[in-house]
Amino acid sequence: MNKALNRWRLGLRIARRDALRAKGRSALVVAMIALPILGVAGADLAVRSSQLSTDEWLSREIGTADARYEVYEAGVPILQHPTDPSDMWSSSWDDEEPGQANRDPGEDGEEEPAGRFRFEDVLPEGATVQEERSGYADIATEHGILWTDIQETDPTAELTRGKYTLLDGDWPTGPGEVAATTQFLTDTGAKVGSEVELAEIDHKVTITGSYELPGSLRSTSLLAPSDSLLPLLDRGEDPSNVRYLVAVDGGVSWDAVQAANELGVQVTSRAVHLDPPADADVPLFQHPDYFRWDSGIDSQAAALIGVAVALVVLEICLLAGPAFAVGARRSRRQLGLIGSNGGDRAQLRAVMLSSGIVLGAVAAVIGIVLGVIGVVLAKPFLENIGGSRFGSWDFRWLEILGIAAFAVFIGTLAALIPAINASRSSVLESLTGAKGVRRGSRALPIAGTVALILGVAVALVGGLSMGSAGMVGVGAVIAELGLVALTPLLVGGFGKLARFLPLSGRLALRDAARNRGRTAPAVAAVLAAAAGAVAVATMTAGIQAQERAEYVPNLPDGTVALTMWNGSESQLDPLRSAAEKTLPVTDRADLSTAQPAPAFCTGGSAANLDWDPDDCYLEIRTPPENVCPLWEEGSEALSEQETRDLRQDERCRFNRSAGWGMSEAGPVAVGGPEILKVLGLDRPEYRQALEDGKVLVFDRTDIDSEGRVTLAQYENWEQEEPAGTVVLPAEHLDGDGYGLDALMTPQAAEEAGLGTTFAGTYYASSDRPTSQDEQAFRGELDDLVLGSTTSWTIERGYTGDYSLSLLILAIAAMVIALGAAGIATGLAQADSEADLATLAAVGAAPRIRRTLSGLQCGLIAFMGVLLGAVSGLIPALGLLMADHRDRLDWWEREVAEGWDVGPRPELHLALPWETLGQLVVLVPLIALVFAAVLTRSRVTLARRAG
Amino acid sequence: MTSPTAASGAAPILELRGLGRVHGSGVTTVHALRDIDLTVSAGEFVAVMGPSGSGKSTLLTLAGGLDNASSGQVLIEGTDLGTLNKSQLAKIRRTSIGYVFQDYNLIPALTAAENIALPRELDGISARAARKEALAALEEINLTEVANRFPDEMSGGQRQRVAIARALVGDRRLVLSDEPTGALDSETGEAVLALLRKRCDEGAAGVMVTHESRYAAWADRVVFLRDGTMVDQTVSPTAESLLASEVKR
Repeated sequence: MNKALNRWRLGLRIARRDALRAKGRSALVVAMIALPILGVAGADLAVRSSQLSTDEWLSREIGTADARYEVYEAGVPILQHPTDPSDMWSSSWDDEEPGQANRDPGEDGEEEPAGRFRFEDVLPEGATVQEERSGYADIATEHGILWTDIQETDPTAELTRGKYTLLDGDWPTGPGEVAATTQFLTDTGAKVGSEVELAEIDHKVTITGSYELPGSLRSTSLLAPSDSLLPLLDRGEDPSNVRYLVAVDGGVSWDAVQAANELGVQVTSRAVHLDPPADADVPLFQHPDYFRWDSGIDSQAAALIGVAVALVVLEICLLAGPAFAVGARRSRRQLGLIGSNGGDRAQLRAVMLSSGIVLGAVAAVIGIVLGVIGVVLAKPFLENIGGSRFGSWDFRWLEILGIAAFAVFIGTLAALIPAINASRSSVLESLTGAKGVRRGSRALPIAGTVALILGVAVALVGGLSMGSAGMVGVGAVIAELGLVALTPLLVGGFGKLARFLPLSGRLALRDAARNRGRTAPAVAAVLAAAAGAVAVATMTAGIQAQERAEYVPNLPDGTVALTMWNGSESQLDPLRSAAEKTLPVTDRADLSTAQPAPAFCTGGSAANLDWDPDDCYLEIRTPPENVCPLWEEGSEALSEQETRDLRQDERCRFNRSAGWGMSEAGPVAVGGPEILKVLGLDRPEYRQALEDGKVLVFDRTDIDSEGRVTLAQYENWEQEEPAGTVVLPAEHLDGDGYGLDALMTPQAAEEAGLGTTFAGTYYASSDRPTSQDEQAFRGELDDLVLGSTTSWTIERGYTGDYSLSLLILAIAAMVIALGAAGIATGLAQADSEADLATLAAVGAAPRIRRTLSGLQCGLIAFMGVLLGAVSGLIPALGLLMADHRDRLDWWEREVAEGWDVGPRPELHLALPWETLGQLVVLVPLIALVFAAVLTRSRVTLARRAG
Repeated sequence: MTSPTAASGAAPILELRGLGRVHGSGVTTVHALRDIDLTVSAGEFVAVMGPSGSGKSTLLTLAGGLDNASSGQVLIEGTDLGTLNKSQLAKIRRTSIGYVFQDYNLIPALTAAENIALPRELDGISARAARKEALAALEEINLTEVANRFPDEMSGGQRQRVAIARALVGDRRLVLSDEPTGALDSETGEAVLALLRKRCDEGAAGVMVTHESRYAAWADRVVFLRDGTMVDQTVSPTAESLLASEVKR
């Protein structure tokens, strides 16, 4: 025991001092380990600090109040979660008549539930109450119109303390004054003291201060004194827009919460949050249809996380390993001395492993400190990204200690192989510096081959048969370990090519092959860096190929759509001017939406921005003989085979392949023949059909046997049978409608007595607009005041572009690969001094040293990236196959159940040739040049220090 | 040729019996040592001389258990090194054998005291106790002032004296030194030899490889090697007699 303790104490002492003596090498290892630790420690602190304590959360939600009452559905009983009122069940969702409060209002002459609801009946007696009202408004700003939340309350009241933070200026005190969130000020360019206008009612208000909602930093809100602004908007009384903060002696109990629930009121209670009821006392949890979300991590996710951690650890070990191997090589004589003084293998191992412990511990401290400092400095930025202020700093010491232990573990693991090698060296050879070419282990290549084959098999089976990403990951790790184990053998194999090379290349390759002990770890390090980059690049290329193949255009290629929901058509004029000025647009088509005859639209039309059940609307009525039996009542009685057969029937087939970019003008669009050009369907027969007053119909089954289409007109959405129908001659239009069911001319609509509402302008383009065109268009729009009911879309086809991220990835891999190759080259140089002196003595030119270094470095990089490319392809292809298997399983299941879910998913594999080229060609070349340039050409006489 | 044995009747510390060492095989076979018999007793100081390649250092590494003999036996205080595994060999190196090299061979990361304490710490003695022994050893060689200095903060002579102190710390009674004065000036070399001599006079057995007759003259006995074979020995040598022997050979 004492001896073991001494062994480690001595090892740690030597390692600590060695680390200080070899600062460069130590810094390299520390950086490699500290970097991921920095990320993990920072993420831990950021996540923990962003998770609010119950008190902090309550302060943001209900200020200092004991509870907040808000209506979900007035008078309709609900069941709520004790601590998450939004997680609830309304009795109105039950199939059967739920509670008394939801009974049919007419059955015993009672009022409707909402009608008899009064908040006063719900709030606790004797409570202090602070009302909060919310609504919205279109605010005209110097840029245009911004949809804005309006809140009315007293932010200075005791009960609201903690909910709103005043940052600048003053809280509003009277009518015509508001405070604005910082996000509102940023979005609108307004300042404290500015005036903004409520666009709908031409009413101006002055911003007296800026504030933030600590839990919702990106909220664009205005806060006004109670009853000062919302009544002006005259949107009617809606109980669900009112909330009450309540303070009452003794707080609000769970029983009181349930009593409020009976009247459709959700309650956020401080007392219930601090002391939640038992599950058995929560009726929501007993409801048969309630699904309780399990927030735990499923086993598949856990396996993936495990594999990801294993891969990261493996990569770090492979990268840091060579640095330790260099250390072991440099400390060879020292280890020999310890051996000559009686140090056994365990003691020699302890000395080397102690290096890993010491450097891992230093990396832990540096990583954690930098991670914490980084999060502290980046706090405002992180809060903005998360959209919420952190709570108080939450240092979880146990987790931080765990992260530190992980760093030490990685360091020790990285030093393990060099430690084993060092302990197995002969004391005499270590002392004398004698070196010979050793016969490599025979077991290692066999084990490597087995691991490689096994790993590839596991990854393939996992990917192709089981669709398991976890298995692919495990297979990838095994295969990579196999390749690492095979590296010495492969390096030896490369060495056989030496005889075909000129002198310098021959020397470099033979030296690398004969000194596999030093070459293999460096090659493995480059392998690790290249494998990671190739894996991610191949995955990305596959995903990109799939996205490109499965891209669904929203509009015909190159189309520019300028649309609006309500208001006057002239609102689009500035957009049209901007589009015609900056985009390569050609043909313009203005489309309206066909509406029922005005007589059926007394309650408004469906084209209004706010959907209203009273809106009238128009739709195509499919002829009875063409209605798909699957959509009819009684379809559930069909057998599976009948269902599958019907899926192939034209009546039931889902014929769409494109998106819905023109749906604003649908389902029946009204416009001239220009739209045919935009749709790419400009054929004479279609033009003729429109001229003849026919309706062009995209789905053949909408046309009856006599070549007619029936348009059904409804007065409102609750009407089950149409108020009237129009039957018009029709012709099938063979193409995609992008959300339109039919087209007709304004004359045809007028003759049919139909109304129209303007929907938008669509342009065809001579060329597909480029990103620059789009930027120019955006630039024009920036100077315009636009209504919030207009929008635009440019169909530029598939624009997914990962080239920048792939380039960054390749550069990162290059840097790591070059570093690893550089370390090995430095070591090779130190070993080759005698050979270089000999070469110089026999008349070799001074540049031979540079040439040799360059070639050594280049060869190591080349071998590493080549093996890394192979290694990286395994997980990437496996994961793509696993994803494909998943999608295929889902598709087969859906098809078996009779659903039409589109074409069978295809496997899209693509190799990232650009990244592979950069790695396989550029990395060795850069390594070669760098090593040659950075090497002194003068050969110095070697001297052994005491 | 006679088999060299200890002049006195003291207990033998090191015994080499028919020792041989062959490197390589087939056409590359090299006989580094052939059939060497040598016994060194407690209190005896033996010098080994011979030209380069005669096998002096090989003899020392075999005697120290750093290399394995091809034939014959190495016995340290009666224990045959050929019967020991690596761990047992390591143990015998830290408890019975001390090594002194030409180029000092102190561990750069350890102070003088720690270097001396190294074998004792490796043997499981507490760091405090080992340091106490090391300080006592330094006091004995009048070098207490360098106790906390690292090797690169000491002179060559100081380093070598620290190395000798390390070689004999604890109960070790065999000190093997390979050209211990090779990197020192003559005055410092003499001081180092005096220290080795003193240790042998106090009961240790010493074997020293050297090229120089004046240093070999400090020994009780000098054995001569040529081409791996022991060709001669001189008892109670003087520098002049050794020079004469070398000339004769």
